[in-house]
Amino acid sequence: MPRAGAALPRPGWRVPRPVWALPPVAVLGLILLHPLGLVVQQSLSPERGGGAFGGYAEVLGSAAFRDALGTTVWLAAGATVGCLVLGFFLALVIAFVPFPGAKAVAKFVDVFLSFPSFLVTLALLFVYGTVGMANGLWTGVTGAAEGPFHFLATPWGVLLAEITYFTPFVMRPLLAAFSQMETAQLEAASSLGAGPGRIVRQVILPEARPALAAGGSLVLVMCLNEFGIVLFTGAKGVTTLPTLIYGKAILEADYPAACVVAVVNIAISVGLFGLYRVVSKRAGA
Amino acid sequence: MLVPSRAGRWVLWTVFALLFLPLFALPLLVVVAASFAGHWSGAFPSDPTTAHYAAAVHGESLQALVTSLVTAVVASLLALALGTWTAIAAAGLGKRAKRSLDALLMLPVAVPSVVVGLAVLVAFSRPPLLLNGTSSIVILAHTLLVTAFAHQSVAAALARLDPAYEQAAASLGARPSYVLWRVKLPLLLPSLTAAAGLCFALSMGELSATMMLYPPDWVPLPVRIFTATDRGSLFSGSALAVVLMAATLLVLLAVSRLRTRGSYR
Amino acid sequence: MAGFVTPVCGRIRIGGRDVTHLPPHRRGIGMVVQQYALFPHLRVEDNVAFGLRAQKAPRAEIPGRVAEALEMTGMGGYAKRYPRELSGGQQQRVAIARALAIRPGVLLLDEPLSALDAQLRSGMLAELARLHRELPDVSLLYVTHDQVEALTLADRIAVMDKARLQDCGTPQELYRTPRTAFTASFVGSANLLPVTVDGSGDAVFEGRALAVAPVPGRAVAAGAQATLCVRPHLLALGEGGPNTLRGRLTEVQWRGATHRLRVEVSGHLLTADLPELREPPALGEEIALHFAPGDAVLLAAGVAGTAGSGATSGSSGTAESSEPADPAALAGASEAAGVSRG
Repeated sequence: MPRAGAALPRPGWRVPRPVWALPPVAVLGLILLHPLGLVVQQSLSPERGGGAFGGYAEVLGSAAFRDALGTTVWLAAGATVGCLVLGFFLALVIAFVPFPGAKAVAKFVDVFLSFPSFLVTLALLFVYGTVGMANGLWTGVTGAAEGPFHFLATPWGVLLAEITYFTPFVMRPLLAAFSQMETAQLEAASSLGAGPGRIVRQVILPEARPALAAGGSLVLVMCLNEFGIVLFTGAKGVTTLPTLIYGKAILEADYPAACVVAVVNIAISVGLFGLYRVVSKRAGA
Repeated sequence: MLVPSRAGRWVLWTVFALLFLPLFALPLLVVVAASFAGHWSGAFPSDPTTAHYAAAVHGESLQALVTSLVTAVVASLLALALGTWTAIAAAGLGKRAKRSLDALLMLPVAVPSVVVGLAVLVAFSRPPLLLNGTSSIVILAHTLLVTAFAHQSVAAALARLDPAYEQAAASLGARPSYVLWRVKLPLLLPSLTAAAGLCFALSMGELSATMMLYPPDWVPLPVRIFTATDRGSLFSGSALAVVLMAATLLVLLAVSRLRTRGSYR
Repeated sequence: MAGFVTPVCGRIRIGGRDVTHLPPHRRGIGMVVQQYALFPHLRVEDNVAFGLRAQKAPRAEIPGRVAEALEMTGMGGYAKRYPRELSGGQQQRVAIARALAIRPGVLLLDEPLSALDAQLRSGMLAELARLHRELPDVSLLYVTHDQVEALTLADRIAVMDKARLQDCGTPQELYRTPRTAFTASFVGSANLLPVTVDGSGDAVFEGRALAVAPVPGRAVAAGAQATLCVRPHLLALGEGGPNTLRGRLTEVQWRGATHRLRVEVSGHLLTADLPELREPPALGEEIALHFAPGDAVLLAAGVAGTAGSGATSGSSGTAESSEPADPAALAGASEAAGVSRG
């Protein structure tokens, strides 16, 4: 009996199936590939002399760029590690030490994902800003003229905001992975006398590794690309690659330089995203 | 049960609450509180007022909300059409062609949104396609950014669809196009609405590419929130943010309502 | 058959029309599959009308034909319901009505009853038999693993094993005079004994000559190895006639109306289904079984089941014993449909 829906060569005038993919590909070519190609082309245009790679030499050599690159990478790496640790712990509690309302918390995490990132920074301004809640509490209790929290305009503020915003992106695949785990396995392990720490290390962690890898690499890419959080801190001292592109293009109207930074950013992000796809394919996510 | 002892569980739950509440619940609460505050220079906001909301639904702010809604609706519908088309077309492709198409669609997710904005700006600021300074360029960029998500969710739903439906329809004499319209698309409807909701939420909150592109007469809500906070009006910014969240949530809720009514199993 | 897989070789003809390279929607086959595949977003009546609308039947004609098809399957009262509001058996009827509404030349039923429970299954079986009688113009092509379904419904049965046609004939032919050991044990249960044919046409089993009535046109050469097939219910207890087998009783199962005895005869396990015995013989006792020459059949050069091969178990058992392939009895109801191999 035929059970597989294998395609068969059919006679007649019917349009071959691959042709149906052409119109959307043409549209995407026009509105996506063509513009990206122009960015690469502009980055190579020797507007200010110095050959095709003159722009690259100038931009890559500048302190502003190296600074932004360094900040971007360490912020992204730090935020990813933070999200993984925090997300793993939170998901672990929701899944395996459930409390009344744990389901609602999981729902809340989903809702959190649908809000824009800059809301977190906006909120942090009220919590840790110079006249915000934390400093207000401090001055109220100690009577000091000024609170101790001044990290918001520094990279640490961005790091905190990124960890807050991106942790749910780690929790979601983890919760999905945990929900597929058999509790029988855990019960068997604990009936054999394994303590909680041992169970987490030897039973849960190996099962969660694919989800952690997939979530972690996704967060890494998203942190590298994050713009709203950095923009909203309003800190002149924190410049990442995306804000550098914005500054060069919109504030300085230096398009070739913006394009150079953009190409570097594309290379890093697309490379990492490719890695994410490979990892998540392997994780079956 | 992972932690058998009662005390141990309470310790874990306390740590959970200490981490979860300040990090995730507090920000949202604070934004909501600030939107009602006339003053905040201490531990807690003071001078409760609804003036920020009155301002948020008038004049330029109302304009920004409408702009955002229009942009998000148009962009998600376009993205849904494009993503559904590519998902269905991809199902008829060979493995390698399918993978390339997937990669092409995922490109805007991998590329920073700021770069997508820059690219669109560079490409459409010159003839023959001079869109710079119009609302279309914003909608175009939003469509580009959310199509990947529409494609992904429709493709996933399509893969889960039981081929028996298609086969039964074909055996009853339905041509492939008839099967697509009368069987596949209706069965995919729940996933399509879910995808539309996702696209809408993403588009509503889009800031990075929009900052590169928006013309003075097409200012979406996130940009308006940024300009408000940038010049120090944190409270009215918060009110606008709450309006943004509420609008997004309302639409998501409506979509999920639609979805439960439209699901057949 | 339905056109979802292209055959590697051979042609498919329906009523003389070659459909090998036609897409499914141009073959005119009604199809009913295991999981019904009713369209969940359409009401029952729209499900049944689907094929008519897809083929652009005249609009005015559709309601009448829908009602007719639903009436035929006894689902006339459920036209406005959604599939999810129906039980499994009802869904199955709607699926059949949907396939019948397009008035197909062939109705393809792929294990239509396997998702139903036993009680519903026998009810639906009777329904299908009635439909088959009432629709002489429609050929039913019925795929099943269940011998009862095949024997009840079919005018002709084709037995497939590992994608090969094993046997084809009327149910009576296949049941009474199977051609191969596979057919014998798949269509009904069978005792299979390895024998040698002697000069007079008798089957020699472990040195005893057993008389077997020859099947016309199927002579077995003298001296050849063959398999003797006797149905369990055709064995009788005690001495009688030329064909008597003696053995030790190893198992007695009381099944209400019958007793099933297992008897070991020279290392081979025989099964006998006997009308209920007042006093069944004791285990380990030496007993005799006999059968009439006309009740046995010789299978040429097959592999006979040795003791405990399971060849005598019910049909579901045999179906599984020949894993991993997908053996199936195909019941074709008329000459219109046929698969020829090139």
